[in-house]
Amino acid sequence: MSDQAVVRIDHVTKRFAGHVAVRDLSFDVPRGGIFGLLGPNGAGKSTTIRMIMNVITPDAGRVTVFGRPASRDLSDRIGFLPEERGLYKKMKVLEHLVFFAEIKGLSHRDAARRGEAWLARLGVADWAQHKVEDLSKGMQQKVQFIGALLHEPELVVLDEPFSGLDPVNSQVMRDVVVEIARQGRTVLFSTHIMEQAEKMCDHVVIIARGRKVVDGRLADVRREAGTRHLVLGFADGSRSPAAAAVLQDRTLLARVHDYGASAEAELAPGAAPGRVLAALVGAGVELTRFEVAEPSLHSIFVARVGAEAAVAPASEEVGRA
Amino acid sequence: MHKLFSVVRREFVTRVRTRAYLIGTVLGPLLMAALFILPAALQFRDTGPRKVAIADADPSGLGLRLAASLNAATRGRDRKPLYAVQHVPATGRLEAVRDSLLARTGLSRREDAGGLDGVLVVTDTSLATGTVEYLGSNVGSIADMRMLENRVQPVLLRERLQRAGVDSATIASAAQPVTLATRRVAGGKVTAQSGEASFFLAYVMDFVLYLALILYGVQVMTSVVEEKSSRIMEVLVSSLSPFQMMLGKVLGVGAAGLLQIGIWAVAATAVTTYGVQIARVFGADLAPDALGGIPSFTPDLLAVFLLFFVAGFLLYSALYAAVGAMCNSTQETQQASSPVTLLIMAGLISMFALLGEPNGTLARTLSLVPFVAPFVTPIRYALAPLGLGELLLSLASTVAGMLVITWLASRIYRVGILAYGKRPTLPELLRWLRTA
Repeated sequence: MSDQAVVRIDHVTKRFAGHVAVRDLSFDVPRGGIFGLLGPNGAGKSTTIRMIMNVITPDAGRVTVFGRPASRDLSDRIGFLPEERGLYKKMKVLEHLVFFAEIKGLSHRDAARRGEAWLARLGVADWAQHKVEDLSKGMQQKVQFIGALLHEPELVVLDEPFSGLDPVNSQVMRDVVVEIARQGRTVLFSTHIMEQAEKMCDHVVIIARGRKVVDGRLADVRREAGTRHLVLGFADGSRSPAAAAVLQDRTLLARVHDYGASAEAELAPGAAPGRVLAALVGAGVELTRFEVAEPSLHSIFVARVGAEAAVAPASEEVGRA
Repeated sequence: MHKLFSVVRREFVTRVRTRAYLIGTVLGPLLMAALFILPAALQFRDTGPRKVAIADADPSGLGLRLAASLNAATRGRDRKPLYAVQHVPATGRLEAVRDSLLARTGLSRREDAGGLDGVLVVTDTSLATGTVEYLGSNVGSIADMRMLENRVQPVLLRERLQRAGVDSATIASAAQPVTLATRRVAGGKVTAQSGEASFFLAYVMDFVLYLALILYGVQVMTSVVEEKSSRIMEVLVSSLSPFQMMLGKVLGVGAAGLLQIGIWAVAATAVTTYGVQIARVFGADLAPDALGGIPSFTPDLLAVFLLFFVAGFLLYSALYAAVGAMCNSTQETQQASSPVTLLIMAGLISMFALLGEPNGTLARTLSLVPFVAPFVTPIRYALAPLGLGELLLSLASTVAGMLVITWLASRIYRVGILAYGKRPTLPELLRWLRTA
C-alpha cells in the first residue's frame, strides 16, 4: 500500500433500496494537494464521501483513511462539510463554531479564539453574536465551512463546497482551500462543475453512475486525452450553414462541443489540424481563434461520461430515502 | 468526556436561554401560587353575611331556633357574622309569604334594597321528614350549601332529641364534634404526618415526575427531530458516537428541566410556608392551617424519590429520543409518541391503584415493572414501610430496565437519525434493532 494515500477506496460497493449507488469503486487520494471528486448529479460522489466520513458503511470493499479503516476515531483529524448543510438555527454564530470545534476535541478557549479569527478573515465578524437563523444562506455556508476547518484537520472533505455562492464569496473560499493545500494538508472536494475543478485540482477522479471513468493527476489526464484537440473562436455573424457542415463532418472532427461563439473539437482519426483550418476558411468562417490544445476538463468529462450520463437518475436523492 | 460535556452544555444553554423557558420558570410559580391560594382565598373571601329569610310555617318555634343558630354563626378571628337572618312567621299562609320573599331573592345585594340570597322554608313536616327547602340564588355554591346544611342539621337533631325527652345536658354533650386525627406510621414509629399530607406528598412526587417527562422528555424528542430536519446530523454523526449524542441530549435537557423544577420547588416551599401571609395580600384572612401545608420531605424519602426520578427520566427520555429518531417532523412525532405517553399515563394512574393498599400484591408487582416503578415505589416508600430488600429490588429492576431500554433506543437512534423518508413500520424497526 502506498503510504502517500490519505484515503484509499478499495473495491467499494454501496447499494440502496433498489439500486447501486457506488459500484466496485477504487481510487487513492494522495497526501497533500487538492483532490477533485467529479461527476454528474447522482454519480455517487456524496455516497462515496459519506463512506469516507463513516456516516454510512460500504456493503462491500474497504475504505481506509490515514492507513486505517474509516472510523469515528479519526474524525478529529478530518474536517467535513456535508452536501446537506445544516446548522442549529437558534444558536449564535460564534457559539456554534465553538461547539463544532469542541466536538472535534478543541478546548473551549482555543475554539473561541480561532472562531473569531476565521469569522474576521471571511468577513462575517460582525455576525458573531447573531443567531444563525438571521444569516443569509451564503453566510451560513461560510459558517459551516469555518466549522469544518477550526480544528486544523489534516484532511478536509468538502461536498459541493462552492454551490450556491456568489463569485466573490466563492473566490474567498477557494483561496482558503488553496492555502490549506499549500500547507501540505489534503483537500478532497466534490463538484459537478468542471471549471472549478480545472482551476484548482492537482488530482481528479471522475465517476459516473457509481463507476470510475477517469483517475489521475489533472495534467496527466489532460495530456492523455490527447493533443488532437482544437479550440475555435468565431467572429460575430460568420457562422454560415457551410461552417456548420464543416463542424458536422465526422471525417474531420470526431466530436464537437459547440458553444456558439466558440467550440471545442476533437480531431477525427487521420485528420490533420490543417485540413480543418482549410475547410473552415473555405466555408467563409471568420476565425478569431484556432488552437491545437489540451482538452478542457469539461470536454474530457463529456467525452468519457457521455451525454446520457449527464442526465443520469438522481440516485443519491433516492439513496437517502 | 470533553465532547459529551460540550453536547450537554449546548443542549442546556440553548434551552435555558429561550424565552419560553424564562416565561415558564417565572409563570410556573405564579400559576402554582394561584392554584394553591386563589381557591382558598376566594372561598374565604369576605363577601359579607348571606341574607336569608326563613318562611316559618311550623308552629313549634323550629324556625326561630334555626334563625338563632344561623345568626350566631361567625367566622374568622374578628368573628364576622355569616348570616343575616330575617324570620317571617307564615303559619297558614306559607305560599303567599314564600312568594313575596322569593320576589326579593337574587335582587341587588345592597343593604337598602332589601334583597335576599335565599329563602329557607320550614313547614310543620320539616322535623318529621328531615326536609328543609332552600330556594336561593346561591345554591350553585357548594361551599355555601354545605355550610348551611351544617348549620341546619344540628338544630333539627337537637329538636328531635328534645321531643324524645332527652335532657339538654345530654344533648349538649352528644353534640360534641368528633374529629378523626390521622398520623402516618413509618417503620413502626408514628410520624407527625397526617393522612392527607401523605397522600398529598405522593401526589406531588408523581406529578413532578409526570410533568418532567411530559415537558422535557418530549423536548428530547423534538430536539432529535430538529437535528434531523436541519440536516446537521451528518456533521454530528461523523464526530460523535450515537450514544454520546443521545446521552448528551438527555442529560442537557434533563439538567435544564431539573433546574426549572428546582426553582419551582423552592417557590412551592415558599408559597406553602408563607401562603397565609401571601393570601392576606389578596385580602383573604386564612387560618394558619387553611392551606394544609406541604409535608416536608425526609432526607431518605428525598433520596429514594430522586433515584427513581433520575432512572425514570433517563428511561423515558431514551424512548422519546428513539421516537424522535424515527420521525422526520414534529407533526409525525405527535402520533408516534403516543405509546410512550400511554406508558407515562399508566404510571401516573397506577398511583391511585396503590394508595388504598400500598403493600398489596398489585403494588408489589408494579414496583418491579421498570416503566411504572418510578411512579410507584417512591409513593409506597412514602405511604407505608417498605423493606430495604424490596426497595433495592425495585431500584435494580428499574435501572436494569433503563439500561436495556437505553441500549435498544440507541440502536434505533443510530439507524433512525440518518434515515429520511417514511416512518418505519414495526417489522422495519425490528430490522433496525438487529442491523444497528
